[in-house]
Amino acid sequence: MLMQREFWMIMAAGLSLGLLGVLLAVWGNPENSGICVSCFLENSAGALGLHANERMQYLRPELIGFVLGAMGSALVFREFRSRGGNAPLGRFGAGFFLIVGCAIFIGCPIKLFLRLTAGDLTALVALGGLVAGVWLGLRSLAAGVHFGMSSPQRGGAGFLVPALFVLMLVFALAQPGFILASTRGSAAQHAPLLLSLGAGVLLGVLAQRSRFCITGGVRDALVLGRRAPLLWGLLAFTAAAILANLLIGRFEVGFYGQPGAHLEHFWSVLGMALVGWISVLIGGCPFRQLIKAGEGDTDAGMAVLGMLIGAAVVQGWGLAGTAAGVPFYGKVAVLVGLALVLLTGLLLRERTA
Amino acid sequence: MRWDWHDRLHLLGLVVVVAAMAWLLLAGAPGDSGARQASGIERAMERELAYQARAAFLQQIYGPVEELRRQGQAQQALLMLEQLNRNYAGEAHGYILKGLILHEQGVLEEAVASFVQGLRLNGDYVDQRSPLSERARIQNAVDEGLTTLGARARANPDNLSVAAALRNVYYLQSRLAGGCE
Repeated sequence: MLMQREFWMIMAAGLSLGLLGVLLAVWGNPENSGICVSCFLENSAGALGLHANERMQYLRPELIGFVLGAMGSALVFREFRSRGGNAPLGRFGAGFFLIVGCAIFIGCPIKLFLRLTAGDLTALVALGGLVAGVWLGLRSLAAGVHFGMSSPQRGGAGFLVPALFVLMLVFALAQPGFILASTRGSAAQHAPLLLSLGAGVLLGVLAQRSRFCITGGVRDALVLGRRAPLLWGLLAFTAAAILANLLIGRFEVGFYGQPGAHLEHFWSVLGMALVGWISVLIGGCPFRQLIKAGEGDTDAGMAVLGMLIGAAVVQGWGLAGTAAGVPFYGKVAVLVGLALVLLTGLLLRERTA
Repeated sequence: MRWDWHDRLHLLGLVVVVAAMAWLLLAGAPGDSGARQASGIERAMERELAYQARAAFLQQIYGPVEELRRQGQAQQALLMLEQLNRNYAGEAHGYILKGLILHEQGVLEEAVASFVQGLRLNGDYVDQRSPLSERARIQNAVDEGLTTLGARARANPDNLSVAAALRNVYYLQSRLAGGCE
């Protein structure tokens, strides 16, 4: 494994994600949220006018960087393939409920590890949920549940989602008046635009080359154990983030008073279980969906669109968890998500005669 | 690949449409204020104006309470706040003001509970960028709460009211710590 170029690429991606995840918070992003795909999607949906929470509106350049970095890398290394076409609405719904699960916990799997590496023990409980969800996803796959194989797509379909992010890049740089930006609240906290964009592009390139994925790392660890390169990437990410937090003085161990965290552990576990389960079924965590969409995967593109709409809805309908806890309808939404995943397990199961 | 009349026509149309769009964006973007407003381009300014107006409105409504507080007439200020909180139920400002007065009176548990009620309605009060920010004074209450209520909770682990008050302190601590929500 140590002789393989892929292994070192994964290690580079993990180390960069851990380091930049901490540094972006130092450079201006919210505490423990240097990188958070779900939070950033909620901010970006708000900036596009898709929800009215005035504290959550900012077009996050990191997201744009992830997709365009992945697209650039895939084009340069001739890995860009327009592909997809399987269960598009199912994947849209899966993307939607990925964000519901993340919003209940307050963060995507990347942020779960960033919170954990800053000493937030509430994230440790949620990690149990994520691992359980990934395990359930693996059991579902083993039982024959899948969304189907992707096939080549005509007409440059794979460029449509990257084109949306090119448009967002134009908006981020030109700042037209209809793009909203919070002047207070967590969305008003952000690193300088070019720094965020640069970090996003770098991570997008590394993630495209390495296929780095948080839930993929957990999945491979459950299947392959210590032989899984992604597990070592995940450990590199964790080690880099812990070290960076310790050096910067942002390591505060405890359950209480943690930034952007609540104490409703049961719902955090359920939210992250939902995220883990869905991620395995659609082939990657929210971050990986963005990277795959950048590579021309229209199935991942549908999940990304679902994630964007989900981000707008969790804020618009007040479903997202806050330090005060999980709102009633947020709890209902997680249960609806779990019910739909269970239903998917029945309806999309390939049965042998 | 052979280009027939269909392809050529589409290509020509594409060039014309892209050129027209570029011309429209470069030459015809609304420049004057009226046109910008008409196209919804000044939403950010409108929002800021609305926010400033809200802050001024709160100042006007709660100004007499602030005045009583400054004069040291805490009981009268609290009575007036009770009335205002009934009239403007759902407005965070009253709860924050009540928390400040109670904290000044040394009633820490109720002060913290009132801050929590206010912050659940509006997080601007712990935001450094907001003109409504009371971050420093809420931080003081949290520091005091962690010391005194923490000690009391350790001494009386079965006391539910102290435990609830300490949970409120943790909530405030979490809001002050920041994060994305």
